[in-house]
Amino acid sequence: MIKRKLILIMENKPGALVRVIGLFHQRGYNIENLHVDVVEDFAPYKSIEDKLNTKFEPNQISRLTIQTTVSDILMRQILRQLNRLIDVIAVSNEEATYFKGVLLDENLL
Amino acid sequence: MLMHALHDEGVELIYGYPGGTALHVYDAIFRQDKIEHILVRHEQGATHAADGYARATGKPGVVLVTSGPGATNTITGIATAFMDSIPMVVLSCQVASHLIGTDAFQETDMIGVSRPIVKHSYTVFDAKDIPKTIKEAFYVATSGRPGPVVIDIPKDMTAPENLFDYQYPNEVNIRSYNPPINPDQSQVERAVDAIIKSSRPVIYAGGGAIASDAEEILYELNEIMDAPVTNTLMGLGIYPATHHRFLGMLGMHGTYQANMAMHNADLIIAVGARFDDRITNSPSKFAPKAKVIHLDVDHSSVSKIIEANVAVFGQVKNSLQAIKETLKERIQDYDKGVLEPWHGEIKEWKSMHGLNYELYKDESDSHQILPQAVVQHVYQITNGDAYVTSDVGQHQMFAAQYYHFDKPRRWINSGGLGTMGFGLPSAMGVKLAFPDEEVLCITGEGSIQMCIQELSTCLQYNLPIKIININNEALGMVKQWQDMNYGGRHSESTYKNSLPDFVKLAESYGHVGIKIEKNSELKSGLEKAFAMKDKLVFVDIYVDPSEHVYPMLVANNSLEDMWLSKDKKT
Repeated sequence: MIKRKLILIMENKPGALVRVIGLFHQRGYNIENLHVDVVEDFAPYKSIEDKLNTKFEPNQISRLTIQTTVSDILMRQILRQLNRLIDVIAVSNEEATYFKGVLLDENLL
Repeated sequence: MLMHALHDEGVELIYGYPGGTALHVYDAIFRQDKIEHILVRHEQGATHAADGYARATGKPGVVLVTSGPGATNTITGIATAFMDSIPMVVLSCQVASHLIGTDAFQETDMIGVSRPIVKHSYTVFDAKDIPKTIKEAFYVATSGRPGPVVIDIPKDMTAPENLFDYQYPNEVNIRSYNPPINPDQSQVERAVDAIIKSSRPVIYAGGGAIASDAEEILYELNEIMDAPVTNTLMGLGIYPATHHRFLGMLGMHGTYQANMAMHNADLIIAVGARFDDRITNSPSKFAPKAKVIHLDVDHSSVSKIIEANVAVFGQVKNSLQAIKETLKERIQDYDKGVLEPWHGEIKEWKSMHGLNYELYKDESDSHQILPQAVVQHVYQITNGDAYVTSDVGQHQMFAAQYYHFDKPRRWINSGGLGTMGFGLPSAMGVKLAFPDEEVLCITGEGSIQMCIQELSTCLQYNLPIKIININNEALGMVKQWQDMNYGGRHSESTYKNSLPDFVKLAESYGHVGIKIEKNSELKSGLEKAFAMKDKLVFVDIYVDPSEHVYPMLVANNSLEDMWLSKDKKT
């Protein structure tokens, strides 16, 4: 069990946050630190914009940081299931960034 | 506007139940004639009926309910569809916007209550968004790995004075949702490499293959490969059960040869299956010699329980097609002759321990009717061509083992969630989709009582389903576990002297009831029931209550550890 930090980029919509939190709660994991911001500077997410073939507009996406303590195997499963949520655009941990299940080259951290 | 949007989405049937917050919508239903509404007797029945309709047709099932209890009654049905990845859209009406959060009459946070068991959900905050929301909801429900979607609609959003220019969107684009469609060719090449190297392959196909309508392409691929094929409980029918390469179902109550083949394989090709715990037994002891190729549309299903050596993401049908084409191109490298010793071994397993009912051929009145015999007779009488729905328990396993499905979407059961009460309402959904086909429900006296109120719906809409009630006067599967693991202490699993007279019950609902208690009456009784084409017939069959389902995996072991009968273990 290691302390981990996750970063999510997701649509800034009501209900999106609680779907993310639910995946941790369901397995009995406590979230130790949580931070949500509406993204104003899109520059770091250019590669995602290109993948999506879209242009982010102000107030459209949020950046979510979560700190929790989970095992390796569970972390991988949670990452994949976070990725499956409709409003989640990309998920990133210490090692890599996943965009809808596909590994992106660069890390968003 | 809601009805317009549903019609434009191609909806023909809605299953539902009215109530206060749904009244505007129900008035709109009254004033149109394009979409038929089926009035059920309980909202759970509506979701199961829509689910059965979706499983049999491949089209999304649609449910309409009122707020509060109407919405919460759909939860079991939504969870059932979620676990089996069935496309469904549930329109739950809500109290008016300004009342939300005030503990108004019949208010429930339906989005909150349903969150863990939906693929996605929407609340309509602006009536103008209804067409776009409907379009998106149907797209999400039916694409990728299908699943249920809930739309919560506050009453004021459906008010008749809300008039807008209506336009239904032609296309939908959700930028954060792009399910894979076509596989990556490099993964396909790796899969074909593994197939060429293998001498003991097994194809293990599940519900995802049915969802993707992959039966033809799977068949064509295996005409080239010539591998043995097993199906999960959810996958029955995707490969013809009467084909000589078919092993039967695998897993907890799978056939001896299917479980042995999986355990001893050097290559497992998982096609739209998710290595459920009822399949793997102990994952650490699962198929120790096998490499795994996993074909799935859902990234999170792959390497969740069993690590995949090759993962092919995409619509399963397209992935199979790509594998077939690539294997064809490299056919000079593929020698199906190397599979011969493997086929020989499987043949031996098959002859060693077929399904155990084969041991009892005697059908005299000196012993009680065996539940397996009931299913075998039903199979023969219906020429193996009926739509069969089922509930949950021993009868479900007997049906899966002894009714041999040659076509997909004919076997309709709650595999993942194991929902008792599913059988009768889902049969209604199938019968409404295919009124000219034989639709039957193999159930037990426990399960049928969980949604028996739908007998009334069957009368209203004239749905001549055949109900085969395998009556052992107990909760058979619970009792079996109590026999095997709890010293035969039948805690709360029997109710022998308090069962209703099902014949009279069926008659009071306006249907026909037949009671069968003796072996000598079994065949003729069933024939009589199926001869009544335009009647719902409830056939109540008293069977040997001591019968268990075998084979059965020995818990926490491998797939080759099975109970074959009450006293015989592998």
